[in-house]
Amino acid sequence: MTGLRSFVTRRMLLGVVQTVAVVLLVFALTEALPGDAAVALAGDQPDPARIAALREAMHLDRPAYERLAEWAAGLLHGDFGASVTSGRPVSQYLADGFGPTLLLAALTVALLVPAGFGLGVLAARHEGRLVDRLISSLTLAVYAVPEFALGVLLVTVFALRLDWLPPTAVGYGTDLLGHPAALLLPVLVLLSRPVCSLARLVRAGMVDALAAPYAVHARRYGVGGARVRYAHALPNALAPAVQQLARTIDWLLCGVIVVEALFVIPGLGTVLLNAVAERDVPVVQGLAVVFGVLTVVLNLGADLVAHRLAPRAGVAA
Amino acid sequence: MTDRNDTTAPTGAGTDAELACVAEIRDLRVEIDGRVIVDGVQLRALPGKVTALVGASGSGKTTTGLALLGAYPSGARVTGDVRVAADGPVGYVPQHPASVLNPARRVSALLNDIARTQVRDLPRNQRRAAARERMLRALSDAQLPDAEALLSRYPHQLSGGQQQRVVLAQALLLGARVIVADEPTTGQDALTRSRIVDQLAALAARGIAVVLLSHDLDVVHALADEVLVMRAGRVVESGPVQRLWRAPRHEWTRQLLDARSSPTGHEPLPDTGQAVLHVRHLTARHRDGAIGATVVLRTPELALHPGESLAVVGRSGTGKTTLARCLAGLHRDHDGQVHLDGTPLPRSVRHRSRAELAAVQYVFQDARAAFDEHRPVLDQVARTAVRLRGTDHLSAAQEALTTLISLGLRPETTHRLPSELSGGELQRAALARALLARPRVLICDEITSGLDTVTRRGILDALTDLLRDRSDMSLMLITHDLETARLAHRIAVLDAGELVEQGPAHRILTEPRHPFTVSLMETTARLEAETAPPGAW
Repeated sequence: MTGLRSFVTRRMLLGVVQTVAVVLLVFALTEALPGDAAVALAGDQPDPARIAALREAMHLDRPAYERLAEWAAGLLHGDFGASVTSGRPVSQYLADGFGPTLLLAALTVALLVPAGFGLGVLAARHEGRLVDRLISSLTLAVYAVPEFALGVLLVTVFALRLDWLPPTAVGYGTDLLGHPAALLLPVLVLLSRPVCSLARLVRAGMVDALAAPYAVHARRYGVGGARVRYAHALPNALAPAVQQLARTIDWLLCGVIVVEALFVIPGLGTVLLNAVAERDVPVVQGLAVVFGVLTVVLNLGADLVAHRLAPRAGVAA
Repeated sequence: MTDRNDTTAPTGAGTDAELACVAEIRDLRVEIDGRVIVDGVQLRALPGKVTALVGASGSGKTTTGLALLGAYPSGARVTGDVRVAADGPVGYVPQHPASVLNPARRVSALLNDIARTQVRDLPRNQRRAAARERMLRALSDAQLPDAEALLSRYPHQLSGGQQQRVVLAQALLLGARVIVADEPTTGQDALTRSRIVDQLAALAARGIAVVLLSHDLDVVHALADEVLVMRAGRVVESGPVQRLWRAPRHEWTRQLLDARSSPTGHEPLPDTGQAVLHVRHLTARHRDGAIGATVVLRTPELALHPGESLAVVGRSGTGKTTLARCLAGLHRDHDGQVHLDGTPLPRSVRHRSRAELAAVQYVFQDARAAFDEHRPVLDQVARTAVRLRGTDHLSAAQEALTTLISLGLRPETTHRLPSELSGGELQRAALARALLARPRVLICDEITSGLDTVTRRGILDALTDLLRDRSDMSLMLITHDLETARLAHRIAVLDAGELVEQGPAHRILTEPRHPFTVSLMETTARLEAETAPPGAW
């Protein structure tokens, strides 16, 4: 067990380093972009004097390293700093954007897990037969459709033509839970591709596991079909699927920009998009920290689950 | 021939004369794509008796054994009769027990599933305890001490021997009256083999009919009551083991038994001065994940002289292969020096020059895994000369063909893909591939374990010829088999990573000094006791 603990510690330290690297990289890239928050705010009439005044007011005239150092010092006390454009604390932005994103992600994962694993196991159980071929070709076809295309298609059919569902979440603010109809299409779009990749992974793992000598052996010794499938074969098929699931949750929590933009949902993706457009460096940095930590924690969790499922592989940091 | 599968014959059809027999095969014929795997096989398994099927690899032993389990190769056309008394369950211990242990589940998983079905009659609240009690009893019946702790381990945390006993415990828990053991001793060292023999004898003593599939004739002789000799899918001879050993009737049985006779030992070579390969103060480690490094091998000094053959013997897992891998540059994590002709060899194979690579060649245990399955064997053998000696393609192919033929392969075989060659043929091809580098030192890592006696004899004879024909080449034999070690001039004995003894082969074999060598010799002697066929040594 000490091996596992030191693995977790090392991964956490590595995660901190990775997050710092992401923040530095994001800072460097936003600095490298032409224009800054002052230019963005000055809008259509870029009067140099006005820009200079704005810059001074926003403390953008100070050297980049000073701004970074000040922001980093604040971060150590849990202070994400304030937006340069609005002056609102960055943590406020994050808190506001996190609600809708978390709601979308939670709903999607709640449907994704049973659908992905169910379809995968079902296809593997009927390997090579009609059900399998149907599921395999359908998942491949749906996976090939990008989110924006599927989103536009669904909105056109179900919102604009049939008028069954609202086309966007405009006007509902962050209180999306009160309007479940507005969530249906976004969740469907978010689900589409992850379900396919997960189902295909589970299917491949299950086909291998069901044909493995240990599954044959269990069946030979009179263990029932369902028990062999779920108790003996599935644990072996899960390891790659769990890693994929972690990446999907990460993708969902870091704000799926396309879907949020399409359905006008004020989640983290929208916050990020606006912050970049306004060159609002502290907000972008705050988001980078949150996304970095989320990615590190989720992947670590997935590795621990995978280690439990495939203990033989050991932990490779 | 009809295309139906009538192996699921009704039970209770046995007559009074067959009452004692718990499993029976009659006129079994298995055919895949018109190729006959097994033909006209008859087998009767009696309670408390060990029935052995012997024969070379590919003779149909496994197909016959698996037929008792109702398992056939895919696409097989099966006719004949397989009957198991009262349709009782048949236990199975495969050659690689790890393959039937679920890597993602604890040892208790399958045992628990088997036990659960047996305690259904009990009240719900007593089931769990009763199932656990049955599991523990089965494990202790399979001679596994500390069963409590074992239940919560994963298969990879067990030794090979423990894995085998866990699989045995599954069969015992199932209440199997017939247990099929497939090559249980293949690739095992002498001490492990003798333990497995005791284990299987204990099974028979419990009244279980044991069907032993093996090409390990010492073990068969020590265990079996009844022996069936198979060749090319047919039983060529069968009878009580004593009769078969004393007076084999069929030519093939005689060949099988003769092939066991030990090769003649070599006289030690006179000391020829400088060693071709010299190892000093070698300490090899294995990185073990987060835990750190463990020292797995300590060799203060080991020298290999030109034209000499050195056997490195020891039990499995004592660092024999690690030693060989250090010399070949495949294991970098070691201190100490390895000198080739007086100059130090780079630690990693990546830093060795072509000449240094060619000088130390390695032949692996698993020849099949050592070949690219998509290219003909001849091309792969010839490639060594092109890569390591800069020979042009045409003369490399010519040399490869000559070498392969001199090692006993038929010319038409050499143009085939590795999958179309037998294990013995592939191992010869692997030898030829190494020889095309014109090595100074040839390292053979357990190249005969896993082969049947006739094939093994052939490979060992080929090695003997090689040593005679290439007087400048040195040979290092990694083996757990003292029979193979007899071939060498000198023997080095490894135990738990320490080089405990080395010296001339005849001295080590006749008057071992280290206690471990003594025990290794005694176990081998016990297995071989009274198993000598008439006329052999």
